[in-house]
Amino acid sequence: MKRLGIATGFLALGLLIFATYASVSQAQMMAPPGGDYKKVSALVPLPDFLPGLGTLYVQPKTLPAGPFLAYDREGHLVSTVYMIPIKDIDAHKKFDDLSVAKDMKVDHVDMYFNAGHPGVPEPHYHVILWYIPESKAEALK
Amino acid sequence: MLTRRGFLTAGGLALAGLAVPRSARAARTVEIRMRSDTLGTQVWFDPIGLLVEPGTTIRWVVEQNVHTTAAYHPTNDMHSLRIPERAQPWNSGYLVQPGSHFEATLTVEGVYDYFCLPHEIAGMVGRIVVGKPGGPGALPFDYFKGKLGAVGWKAVPSAAERAFPTVTAIMAHGIVRKS
Repeated sequence: MKRLGIATGFLALGLLIFATYASVSQAQMMAPPGGDYKKVSALVPLPDFLPGLGTLYVQPKTLPAGPFLAYDREGHLVSTVYMIPIKDIDAHKKFDDLSVAKDMKVDHVDMYFNAGHPGVPEPHYHVILWYIPESKAEALK
Repeated sequence: MLTRRGFLTAGGLALAGLAVPRSARAARTVEIRMRSDTLGTQVWFDPIGLLVEPGTTIRWVVEQNVHTTAAYHPTNDMHSLRIPERAQPWNSGYLVQPGSHFEATLTVEGVYDYFCLPHEIAGMVGRIVVGKPGGPGALPFDYFKGKLGAVGWKAVPSAAERAFPTVTAIMAHGIVRKS
């Protein structure tokens, strides 16, 4: 009887973890992602929608690297973006355990130099994990 | 006397048809475009170098991306002084939308160096000569090192140093564009 109680407890705990994980995952698939994520345009002077990227959300404590969650005009998650300052690359800085959007299949990855913008006002690299095909990504205007 | 006027968005469409004249010397208002490619990899003022008469109004207009225009002056986050001593510094703050613009009227003769805050390290700077060259902007970038009253001034980033057009080129051509 006692073993059954312990097993039931673990099962309940497992279901709770799964439910939390699933709800986080579901929450991130549509904007706004909730939790500690804030719309970037509410934190720094940037337009709501950035051509080529979408509408960005970030947890301020993770700046500058991110992840930034990017959504299209309909509010669908389209990519996760990391912004890595060149000076950190030059300094061989290690970035550990950067979080990812859950349950999303990466279609392709883009990496390109950016000269800077409010929030990350220094030259850096954008590393973008796209969840949509390149043709749709190019249409984000 | 330098005057400053900031405008956000209003009038941007009306400006879209304006172009920088071949010679800026005779114009009373001259436009400098704040440009970028789509990915934000390349950013620049267009033109990057300009010769104008005293009293000319400079109008900076955002074409793409988010920019600022700010004079090299200690009041702007301790940047080193690179405009004439008697000139008033300016700082547009962030201009976020395409068509947003900012104006400053430059009346004191000399060299005026200015920068874009989020893109200075990447080399987005510009230089205007008003009348004839002179003042701190005509001096070497490290002229202030060791001088009293210049403690804490920030040096011009190396990419920005390389980006400035020479005063000689501005005096020779009137308008200098990024190569």
